[in-house]
Amino acid sequence: MGTEDNGDMGFQHRGSSSGMNPISVSGKILGRAMSSGAIIKSTNGADPFFGSGWDSLSMSQSENFGGSSMVPLTDVANPPFPLLLTNQAIDSSSHLVHYPSDLGLVDMVPKLPSFGSGNFSEMVSSFGLPESGQITNSGCPINYLRNREGGTANTSTNNADCQENCQVSEEGSSPNGRRKRRASNSPSPMNTNKNAEREQHKESSKDSSECLKEQEEKKQKIEQNISANLRGKQTSKQAKDNSNSGEAPKENYIHVRAKRGQATNSHSLAERVRRERISERMRLLQELVPGCNKITGKAVMLDEIINYVQSLQQQVEFLSMKLATVNPELNDDIERILTKDILHSRGSNAAIFGFGPGLSSSYPFPQGIPQGTSLSIPFTTPPLNPMAQVASRCHYPAPSLSSFED
Amino acid sequence: MMTSRQHLTTNPSSIKTRFAYLFLRNLKRLNKYRPTSSSSRAVYQRYGMIKFAADASMASAVGSRRAWSRATLLKIRNRALNCTFLKRRRIHALRRRRAERKSRNPRQECAFGQANELRRLVPGGEVMDICNLLDETAHYIKCLNTQVQVMRNIVDFYSS
Repeated sequence: MGTEDNGDMGFQHRGSSSGMNPISVSGKILGRAMSSGAIIKSTNGADPFFGSGWDSLSMSQSENFGGSSMVPLTDVANPPFPLLLTNQAIDSSSHLVHYPSDLGLVDMVPKLPSFGSGNFSEMVSSFGLPESGQITNSGCPINYLRNREGGTANTSTNNADCQENCQVSEEGSSPNGRRKRRASNSPSPMNTNKNAEREQHKESSKDSSECLKEQEEKKQKIEQNISANLRGKQTSKQAKDNSNSGEAPKENYIHVRAKRGQATNSHSLAERVRRERISERMRLLQELVPGCNKITGKAVMLDEIINYVQSLQQQVEFLSMKLATVNPELNDDIERILTKDILHSRGSNAAIFGFGPGLSSSYPFPQGIPQGTSLSIPFTTPPLNPMAQVASRCHYPAPSLSSFED
Repeated sequence: MMTSRQHLTTNPSSIKTRFAYLFLRNLKRLNKYRPTSSSSRAVYQRYGMIKFAADASMASAVGSRRAWSRATLLKIRNRALNCTFLKRRRIHALRRRRAERKSRNPRQECAFGQANELRRLVPGGEVMDICNLLDETAHYIKCLNTQVQVMRNIVDFYSS
């Protein structure tokens, strides 16, 4: 089948590029288990590097069900891959791979305290596995990152290895990049060519869901948008009047990008589309960050977003410090009770501590400080400098938060 | 526009359950190996390990669907690989490549000067353009919220 061939080719290329035979073997196995195109498209383009890395590791992990001590780091890689599988709604294989990876993942962390040394990084690295597969696999994401950002013909040669992996998004962009470089291209043949390419890839993954296709198209458009911006600045001399597509709707965005147009036109087109995207994302972020409904303006909005992310990260640190001091007693039974409590009785817990349910989602942190009688007990006993630092840092969001409670 | 909404609504309840499960298991094992810790230094070490476990569990719960979770998992991996014989070469290679990528990154200014700070906050944000960076930030904020909720519930459970 074409899908299998593509998948095998893709995995073999990956294997050849990374020099790992197990990857190609596991890739073939997985290629038959699911459509390869779906794998490649599932993760926002150019993720098959991670996919391949997780492939070999997940295969090895599925063999060692219990997660031996030699496989802890690979377990970190495993859950991403089965989650990819579940994304594509492939039933049996995904569930099979999902559970051992979940079991295996955590094996990484429990090894940390067993060494008992002072340096944490030493603990982590003490079972760092210098497997060649791991090293080369971790080299692949670097290429992935480079490809994601590039999308230009400058990196097209680098993309040559990875193009089969980054099939949809990268191949969409780099041939377009090459075509951009040529002198004259009319919009329709270019679009038909690209559509033909795209349809080949799409046919290879016909069973993928619609949202995946949209995601991939969106990623294509993002990539092409990036390259369009770059091209618009670089190929100003290739002026062609395709500005009639300026008002093209988003479904014809590919037409917009293909028509290189005159320098100002293509540049302004790309800029306009880009600005629309950014404002749309900013609107979504505005809904997420509490208290930003009245803010109009990207700069202020960005400041609020940065503050909010910082405060959330500080809350995580604060809570982890609390956890470090509070609880040494976790039994197996308690864990089951805990999961139920944590996931379901948030409202009751919040009410106990005076949080309103509406407030629990938005900056509840400053209210935790005055009300935390339980906080004071564990905090007074260990006189910690880091505790003081955390506490002082925790007070940071308080003044800015008061403005949110208007 | 609808696709971006689909990106954002990636089922936080399941992420929450996965994160809770992973984090609790990690906590249990951490506690098993270090039951008695009264000294301040031990508590600080435990704090670091718990924070690391929280971030790792969160990144694993999200999987590799998001760039920031991929970057976190990659960082965890590289941390472990740091003390191998390839350590120095890889670190320098990574830094060189990051510098190249930063120079090539089309960072538009136009009222996004603070975007650089946001890049520092969101893991893996150094190599993204503004559009993807905002997308990743939205998902990261949602996951941070769930993380804070779960951790707070755990703490409340133990302190009550």
